[in-house]
Amino acid sequence: MRRRTFLSAPLLLPALTLAAPARAPIAYPAVGAGVRLAFPRDHGAHPDFRSEWWYVTGALDSPQADTGFQLTFFRSRPGTAEALQSPIAARQILFAHAALTVPGERLLHAERARLLHAERAARANLGAGFSIVDCDVHIGAWRMSREDRRSGELFRLQMQSPQFSYDFTLTPSQPLLLQGDGGYSRKGNGPELASYYVSWPQLQVDGTLIVDGKRQVASGRAWFDHEWSTAILDGLAVGWDWLGVNLDGGGALMAFRMRDARRATLFAHATWRDAEGRVRQFDAADVSFTPLRNWSSARSGASYPVQMEIRIGELTLRTRPVLDDQELSASRPTAVVYWEGLVHVEGSLSGRGYLEMTGYAGRLRL
Amino acid sequence: MITAGNRSALGTLAWWLIRAQFRSRRAATLLSMLAIGLGVALGYAIHLINDAALADFARAMKSVQGDPDAVIAARDSAGSVPLADINQLARDPAVLVVAPVIETRVRIDDSPIPVSLIGLDVFSAAAVMPQLMPRHDDRAVLDNIFAGGVYASPTLLERLGLRPGDALTLVRGEQRWRTTISGDLPATHPDEQLLVADIAWVQQRFGPAEAVSEGRVRLAPDADLSTWRTTLAQRLPAGLLIRAADDDSARLSNLSRAYRVNLNVLALVALLTGAFLVFATQLTAVAQRSTQFALLGVLGLSPRMRLLQVLLEGLAIGLPGSLLGLSLGYILAVAFTQLLGGDLGGGYFSDSAPLIVPALVPALAFLALGCLASLTGAFYPAYLNRTQALAQALTSGFSQRPAAIVASPSRLALPALLALAAFALAQLPPLFELPLAGYATIALVLAAGIASAPLLTQTMFGWLSERPLPAPQRIALQNVAQAPLMAQVAASGLIVSFALTASMVIMVSSFRVAVDHWLDHVLPAPLYLRSKATPLPQPLLDALATPDAPFARIERMATASLTLDPRRPKVALLVRELERDNPAARLPFTGPVLTPPVAMPLVWISEPMHEIYRVGAGETLRLPLLGREVDVFVGGVWRDYARQFGAVVISRDDYLSLGGDFQPTDLALWPLPGQQSVAVAWLAPPIERYGLELADSAAIRELSLSIFDKSFAVTYALEAAAMLIGLFGLAVTLAASVWLRARELATLAALGFDRRMLSTAVMLEGALIAGVGLLIGLGCGVAIGSVLTHVVNPQAFHWRMPLAIPWPMVVAGAAITLAAAVLASRYAARQATRLAVAQVLASAQ
Repeated sequence: MRRRTFLSAPLLLPALTLAAPARAPIAYPAVGAGVRLAFPRDHGAHPDFRSEWWYVTGALDSPQADTGFQLTFFRSRPGTAEALQSPIAARQILFAHAALTVPGERLLHAERARLLHAERAARANLGAGFSIVDCDVHIGAWRMSREDRRSGELFRLQMQSPQFSYDFTLTPSQPLLLQGDGGYSRKGNGPELASYYVSWPQLQVDGTLIVDGKRQVASGRAWFDHEWSTAILDGLAVGWDWLGVNLDGGGALMAFRMRDARRATLFAHATWRDAEGRVRQFDAADVSFTPLRNWSSARSGASYPVQMEIRIGELTLRTRPVLDDQELSASRPTAVVYWEGLVHVEGSLSGRGYLEMTGYAGRLRL
Repeated sequence: MITAGNRSALGTLAWWLIRAQFRSRRAATLLSMLAIGLGVALGYAIHLINDAALADFARAMKSVQGDPDAVIAARDSAGSVPLADINQLARDPAVLVVAPVIETRVRIDDSPIPVSLIGLDVFSAAAVMPQLMPRHDDRAVLDNIFAGGVYASPTLLERLGLRPGDALTLVRGEQRWRTTISGDLPATHPDEQLLVADIAWVQQRFGPAEAVSEGRVRLAPDADLSTWRTTLAQRLPAGLLIRAADDDSARLSNLSRAYRVNLNVLALVALLTGAFLVFATQLTAVAQRSTQFALLGVLGLSPRMRLLQVLLEGLAIGLPGSLLGLSLGYILAVAFTQLLGGDLGGGYFSDSAPLIVPALVPALAFLALGCLASLTGAFYPAYLNRTQALAQALTSGFSQRPAAIVASPSRLALPALLALAAFALAQLPPLFELPLAGYATIALVLAAGIASAPLLTQTMFGWLSERPLPAPQRIALQNVAQAPLMAQVAASGLIVSFALTASMVIMVSSFRVAVDHWLDHVLPAPLYLRSKATPLPQPLLDALATPDAPFARIERMATASLTLDPRRPKVALLVRELERDNPAARLPFTGPVLTPPVAMPLVWISEPMHEIYRVGAGETLRLPLLGREVDVFVGGVWRDYARQFGAVVISRDDYLSLGGDFQPTDLALWPLPGQQSVAVAWLAPPIERYGLELADSAAIRELSLSIFDKSFAVTYALEAAAMLIGLFGLAVTLAASVWLRARELATLAALGFDRRMLSTAVMLEGALIAGVGLLIGLGCGVAIGSVLTHVVNPQAFHWRMPLAIPWPMVVAGAAITLAAAVLASRYAARQATRLAVAQVLASAQ
């Protein structure tokens, strides 16, 4: 599920809602169990579905340990201009969001840790595009693509912004991880609330990172997610908490929960693949999120449980953010405030991953 | 001797002298001030108006184009930028965003006034043209911009009386789009009347397929524009161009540059006239006070102080004059922009009156310019004052000139040399695309005229004064012949002002005659029909082709524009139905008409195009036509006074064979014999329905000539001012010479000359000086008129014309000026008759 508030999005201007028009409802395909995903075809876009995202989060060890990065491409089929013949009709809208958590160098300088981010938006065929046969999506010069090289397959991430830029290759060290039932991942208490969800943990990151005009060689570990769906958010849900962790030693852990207005869990799920490749799925009854410490944002006034205890079956994990203030405000498609950032995970298992918390600064609408 | 202790006494003395000077020569001083003020006012007003007009134009451009770092567009206005090129450009890492737009003109519900429809992509537009961002309205029928509604600027909504949710039909040629108003454009300028819609909907309804009008680029902050642009220009397809913001401003300033420079030269003339008046005033002032200055000199006022005192007095005229000029200039600027628009009737910018915003630095610069002019005028009198021999001045007053006044060969050599230099300068090509050498020629002609004045005066009047004549006449003649300095000062003012006035009259008249002839040639048909910027509707064209249409002949024309150089205004492309073998039947050629040696497209270029791009008949030209570069043969150069930045005519057949789409916008119509009124009645319904414009050739001719006259309105006003100043200069100098010759006149009075005879002598003197001035002025005027017609006009505006001197007008002008000069001399004569004879004679030794 998750990501990107883009989803929720009234487009650009508050009154220009991208929600499916009431007069001409379009038939989005339903997400159902039992579909066999095929790769690299299913790394590509699925433009018939209402929404889709390709999402990479990671932690760098060099040039500086605990540098977090994130790059997301989000595709939306809002149901507008469907009847238009024009090749540039706004049938498919792409958004991209990039962030960088710079931990700061407390010893040498008094430089403070900070979170940088940048975003782009475009319609397909007009400065942006995607492939339907492989992962290759771009907005302008920002691009996420999969390539087959002699040494094997890899992903390439390219983005530039005035504050920071990066050009990374992500080399798999493990096979793909199909979430839920062979990629069919339920998001709520109803079979229609589901997505197709493919993860690729433990990707080796290499490349260059430019921050404040300084170009540096970078390396680290990343997590790739690709998810497409038509409906995922329960009518009662106001937001979600999501966590994806590259565990020390090679394992991978994903957990999420949907929250209602009282911050109670509506639905939850977790997947744990250990270093040997054994996958265990945990249902809502086995997954719980308990806030340990809240951090309040002076900007939005929202309070986020940046430190949580997460129980998954017999496992007990605690999150510890590298920086409390990893609150983001996406101005496009509309102003949406959420928290997303690099955290350390400690407890029964240890590692680093990304924690995303939405709906704390107001109800998230899909 | 002056010591530091009595500096303040010196200050008081200077102040006292200035005050005395102002009091005793109130009229002269005020007029000098006025002249300086006029020059400053004119220059400053032109500066203010142009500044405001350019800002207004830039603002208008910005409000529809935003402020992109660069624009990728087609060179041919009928062309477009392929989507593939936009998409490739977007992937350039140096490009932050490329905002594609489709711009077209549509008529709303068959309203006769077309408005701009801009198809944009809200995702990219926000970064480049935020002023065009639409605001969705709750009353809209459609959910959002992608669903196909249009957004109108508040001004347009108000004009149409429409509200969000209302339906409307947009019409462009054959295509119609029925849609609704979904909201407004809150950030557009109040002047703007435009529509915005989603780019895909505009493309769907009006095209172009698989392409857009242009891509507006915002570069990444760290990208270097010039490097990026150079690299991109190399791989850009031939039909496209890249235009940066500085190109836009260069083009803007090119648009009105020549016109502006011409007006500035006129301002300079006014300023020079002001300097001349200061010169005349101060010279007489120095002469009249030579005894006082000599006395002060004996009392210890150093020569340097005497020099400074006169300069100070010049400044005392220049400073208030300039201040007056600044305020007058501001008032003029506001008045003219309200009356004539930002281009003073030149027709380069939109009709809206731009806002005049004065800035400090230019105002100070013009202030300094005015002061400089008055100081320049005061310099020679100051120098004379410094070099006066004190003893002589104390006893016998001001010494005019110690130099010999014989007609030596060297005195003939100077004007001859100047005339020769002027002739040589007139042959030079333009500098910085301005006729600077031409202006220098004009200055030299004036200098030659002034330099020849003493020679002519002495030769002519010296000879005349030896004829047997009544005493007053002989005295007047001798006075003129023997007091060259004063006579020269008086005459040169008239020479300059009359020469400039006559030359402008000659130039404007030549131009008007040429335009008149040209209109005869370019308006062969009795009726002309045109649509405004959109193609003529096909049903009308079909109806015109049927036999019952009351027309003997119809010629269609389509217009487009080509960008040959992004820094220059576009060149008009006229696709016309004319015979390839006989273009001279329709185009007024200035030279040979050639046919291409091999089969290739044939074009005929206008004279401005020939001058600007340096292409001639028989040469091959590479034109950015229809998305590619096409080599065309130039079959001839034709006269065109309508399009200053160049025009190319191509036959419809050639255009079609190049793959062009001929969409006529203009028709030339020949009604059946005797059926003109039937034809007009036949056309009335479609004109009403499609919002077309019909004009008969007489009306077009009348309108063209009235626009022509309007654009020279400012010039006429200036000429009148110059003439007044010249006449006043004459009066002032004559009065001064009367004062200088007080003793002589008093002697004459004592010898029995009555007031009438004295007055006649002075007035005759004035008439003689004016006569010489006018004679030389006329000669110079004809010379300058030819320079304006044959050098300045072709170089500044790229059009040529034959010289046509309106003799009756020029001679009548000279006669009126002469009469006015005689009247002006009355002022001096009155002074002569008021002399207290006894007192004057007594004060002399």
